This record gives sequence, C-alpha cells and structure tokens, in this order.
Amino acid sequence: MGLVNLRKIRRAKQEIGGREVAVVISPRPEQTRLGTTVWQTFKSLLTGMKITISYLFRPSTVVTQQYPENRETLQMFDRYRAQLKLVYDEAGGRLCNCCQICENACPNQSIKIEWTKNPDTKKKELERWIWRMDSCTFCNACVQACPSNSITFGNEFESAVYDRRLLVYTLNDKAGPDAKVWSAIEDPAEREKLMRKMDRYSGPIPLSGTSLPGNPSGKEG
Amino acid sequence: MTAFSSFLFNYLNGVTANVYEPVSVATRAAEVWAHEPWLAIGWLALGMAVMLGFLVVIGMGLIYGERKIAGHFQCRLGPMRVGWHGLLQVIADTLKLLVKEDVVPAKADKVLHVLAPVLAIMATLLALAIVPATPWFQLIDVNIGVIYVTAVGSIGVLGVLIGGWSSNNKWSLLGAMRAGAQIISYEVSATLALLIIVLFAGSLQLSTIVESQADGWWIWRSHLAGIVAFFTFLIASTAELNRTPFDLPEGESELTAGFHTEYSGMRFAFFFLAEFINMFVASAIAATLFLGGWMPFQIAGLDGFNAVMQAIPPGVWFAVKTGGLIFLLMWFRWTFPRLRIDQLMGLEWKFLLPVGFVNLLFAAVLILMGWYFAPIPA
Ligand code: SF4
Ligand code: SF4
Repeated sequence: MGLVNLRKIRRAKQEIGGREVAVVISPRPEQTRLGTTVWQTFKSLLTGMKITISYLFRPSTVVTQQYPENRETLQMFDRYRAQLKLVYDEAGGRLCNCCQICENACPNQSIKIEWTKNPDTKKKELERWIWRMDSCTFCNACVQACPSNSITFGNEFESAVYDRRLLVYTLNDKAGPDAKVWSAIEDPAEREKLMRKMDRYSGPIPLSGTSLPGNPSGKEG
Repeated sequence: MTAFSSFLFNYLNGVTANVYEPVSVATRAAEVWAHEPWLAIGWLALGMAVMLGFLVVIGMGLIYGERKIAGHFQCRLGPMRVGWHGLLQVIADTLKLLVKEDVVPAKADKVLHVLAPVLAIMATLLALAIVPATPWFQLIDVNIGVIYVTAVGSIGVLGVLIGGWSSNNKWSLLGAMRAGAQIISYEVSATLALLIIVLFAGSLQLSTIVESQADGWWIWRSHLAGIVAFFTFLIASTAELNRTPFDLPEGESELTAGFHTEYSGMRFAFFFLAEFINMFVASAIAATLFLGGWMPFQIAGLDGFNAVMQAIPPGVWFAVKTGGLIFLLMWFRWTFPRLRIDQLMGLEWKFLLPVGFVNLLFAAVLILMGWYFAPIPA
C-alpha cells in the first residue's frame, strides 16, 4: 500500500506561462510497511474525526444563514458573484473605456457594449453597457479580462423577476465619456453636462426580447 | 377482555417493581397459551404494538438525529423550518412519502419489484425482535440468538439484490451487485467477531450473553481480543449497513441512488426505514455482545460506585450504549471519504479477515489457559 507523507507537502513558486504562480507540491505515495500503513491509516482517520467533532460541538462554526429572517444582518461573502457592476473612481467617473475586451471574452455573448465616437475629442463614449443576466453563467471571465478593472461582481443577490426579459440590464445609469475625461473636469456642473441619463431597461429590443407591457422604457416592436 | 386488562395491570406493576424474571414475550405467550389464550394473545399484541412503536419512533428519531448531526458536522444547521428546530420535518417527509405516486418502471419485474422492500423491512423487523432491550422485555429469545441475528441479517441483502435486479435499470443492478458482494464479504468478519464473544460467554443466547457480563463487559474482560473483535465488528457492520465509508451500493455520485433508484413513495420509505433501523439493530447487537447490553457499569470492589450504577434502570443503560454506538456510526459517515470497490474488497479479505482469524485463535488460547479477568459462567 502507498501512503502520501503529508509532512513532505510544501508550498513553492513555479513559473507557469511566464508568471510566478504559488503552487503546492505533493509527493508521490510512498511504499510503506504494513505496520506503518495501519498506524498511519488509523491516525489519519482519528485526525479527521477530531476535526468533524470539533465542528459539532462549536455552534459558532455554523455558516448557514437563516435568510430571510436575518435579512437585516445578513453576512455576504466578498467573492460571491451576484450582480455585475461597473466600477467608478472617487470622483464618480466610470473606469470603463469601451475597449470591448470583456465582450469578446464572454463565452455566452452576455455582454454588449454600445459606444459612439465624440467628434470633438475623438474619444469613445459609452452609450450602453448591456449585461444579459439571463444568459450569464457567472464565470467571471469578463472581470478577469478587463484590462482596467472596470467591472466587478457585487453581493446584491435578490434579483428574482417575473419576466425573463427584465434580466437584461443596462448597467450604466449615465452615458458619456469615461473617467479620464470626467475626472479631469473640476466643476461638477460642467461634468454633468457631458452625461445623458440612461434607463436600466431601455435597451434595444433584440437584446431584451419583445416589448414588455407595463414597462414604459421598453420600445414597441 | 377483563383477563387482558388485568394482565396489563399486573404487567405494568411488575415492570415498575422490576420483579419480572428475564423471560421473553414469546416465551410468556407460549407458556400461558394452553390455559389462558386471552393472556397469550395479549402478550403477542403487546409485543407487536411495541415493535410497531419501536419501528416508527426509532426510525423517525434516527432520521431527525442523523440530519441534525450531519448538519453540525458540516457547519450547517440541518432542518430548521418545520416545527421548533425542524422537529416536525420527519413527520412532514413521511406524509409526503405516503401520498407520493408509487412508480413502477414499465419493464420492471412487477412481483419482485413489490417484494424487495418488503423483504428488506422484514429482515429488519426479525432482527429487531431479538434485541434484549431490558431484562423484563425482550420479544423473542431463541437459544441460537447470535446465529439468528446473522441469518436474518442476510435476508436483507436478498431484498437489496431483488430490488436492483427487478428494477431493470443498470444503476440499480450495479448497486445491487455491489451490495451483494460487499455484504457477503463483510458478513464473514462480522461473524468471526461475534464468535469470539460466543467463545467467552459460552452461549449463543443473547440474554445469557448479557448476564455473563454482570462482572464486567466482554470488551475489557477478554484482554485485547475483545477490543479487536469490537472494532472488527464495528467496521464490518458499517459495511453491511451500506453506510459511508462503505456506501458504494448507493454511491450517489456514480450510481444515482444504487439499488433503490427506481423506487418511490412508500416502497422507497421501506428501504429507507430498513436502513435506519438496521443501524439501530447493529448498534444494539454490538452493545449487547461487547458492552454488556442493559448491564450497568461495574468495577469489582467499589461497592458504593456499583450501587449508584445499579440504580440507573437497565433500559437507560441499553439506550445510552446503543445511542453512543449509533452516534459513532454517524460520526464515521460524516467524516470519512468513500472507498473504491477494490479498496473495499482489499480491506476485507487482506486485512479484516486475517485479523479476525488470528484474533479468534488468540481468544481460544486465552480461554483454554484461563487467562482472562473473570471466570466464565458455568
Ligand atoms: S460572468 Fe462570464 S458569462 Fe457572465 S457576462 Fe461575464 S464573461 Fe459573460
Ligand atoms: S468593462 Fe473593461 S473590458 Fe469591458 S469594455 Fe469596459 S474597459 Fe473594456
């Protein structure tokens, strides 16, 4: 029988694809004598039992949340992926510069970036940042692909709706230039003039399906 | 009917005063059958009622307990919604199973499909009947008790095999075949472990085995042999119960649900209940043979301590020991990863079986030389 000597497991850094990556190196199972094998087996089983019983007797380790009773005090986790959101800098400028890399990275075509070119500045200006939550698999590829870290996943998980078409969002609430232009302007009033209000659900019909009765922002079609 | 009510009155009086001799219910019924048939029927009815109550109460208690304990072992809470801390969850689930549609696959062998869960629960009931819970209440007490336990235990695997075969489903069949191979293999080790206690106690009758432990439980008194036999039996009976780490017949990650994939409604409930009651029976048998059954914990010489221990009723002793073993089985289940089928077979034939044989030989030598702590009852 072969056993993996847990003491010989070590952390290391390895170069993978030109980058330093932290890895764990585990040794091959070693051939051991029968006595050692039996002893090690029982020892490791007992170690496991010690860990589980410690959970049983420490109710503080319970991670279950009694939602919705504790809706007020609910603890969410940083890495939880609920809703995609755009990232803004301190001045409130949107970081996304419409490079569309996330759109190409998405395996499900769940992202569509609509932009226009400002004839004066020759800069791209965001029109709509459309996210189709209905076809998103929350794979995080878009977040990782974005070169300027301008999107992230938030914790707002209560996104249930009665119609699937309501899951196609326009993420930006204002259309206009990105943070480089926006934050360079000092006067808040001047800044606001550059932006146009955007509605969450007024996206183009092919993306959000046919028009929704009772949803004023959806176009007829 | 007056005979029956007076019987009940006398019996309960006897129980509270603890004056009844250790005689099983079946024996009592047989004794009075000739001159007082009503009394005999009363005894049998009492036996059956207790059996039914046992089945339902223990089944539900174990299922609730398992779910709660499993939850906390895994940093969860377990059932919390139905009733206080989910206490009524099991009742809700039972009701759901009762009213659920009973689906039989189109190409299944109908007769066998119906028969299988009945066989499984029957084996469980038969084994449950022999458990000596207290000195004054045991349903049947045959003189070949240990053989009876292993024999009726094997009817259960018949239910599993038939269930898997008749479902006409590859997962069911694979699960059933695994169960068959596994139970047949581990039965050998379990029986070898039981034999050691039979050697020490000099009897196959469960009540006699319990009484032979009045001065000390066999797990201590037989030097190392008892401890080794106890652990062998524990491992082997976990495997016979199809519980993790030996739950390959069900192996949900590979076989959907194994032999009961095609069962629903009440028939599934039968399999499920049989599994949990089997866990109780295995723990009760282990407690009876190795831990003294309902016998209190005694240390020779410490009279004060012994008197305190004897004041605790035997039913409580039995419940505590059995409950402890059940907890141990649950602890195993929620800690250990599942074995591979070749590891499973290797563990039995290359490790447990040789250990069992050597242990049996060691125990035989111990008895021949008289090297154990207390004398064998004559
Ligand atoms: S998480 Fe994945 S599927 Fe969803 S939008 Fe981003 S890349 Fe597309
Ligand atoms: S979110 Fe990032 S990747 Fe996507 S368009 Fe904006 S800047 Fe480019």
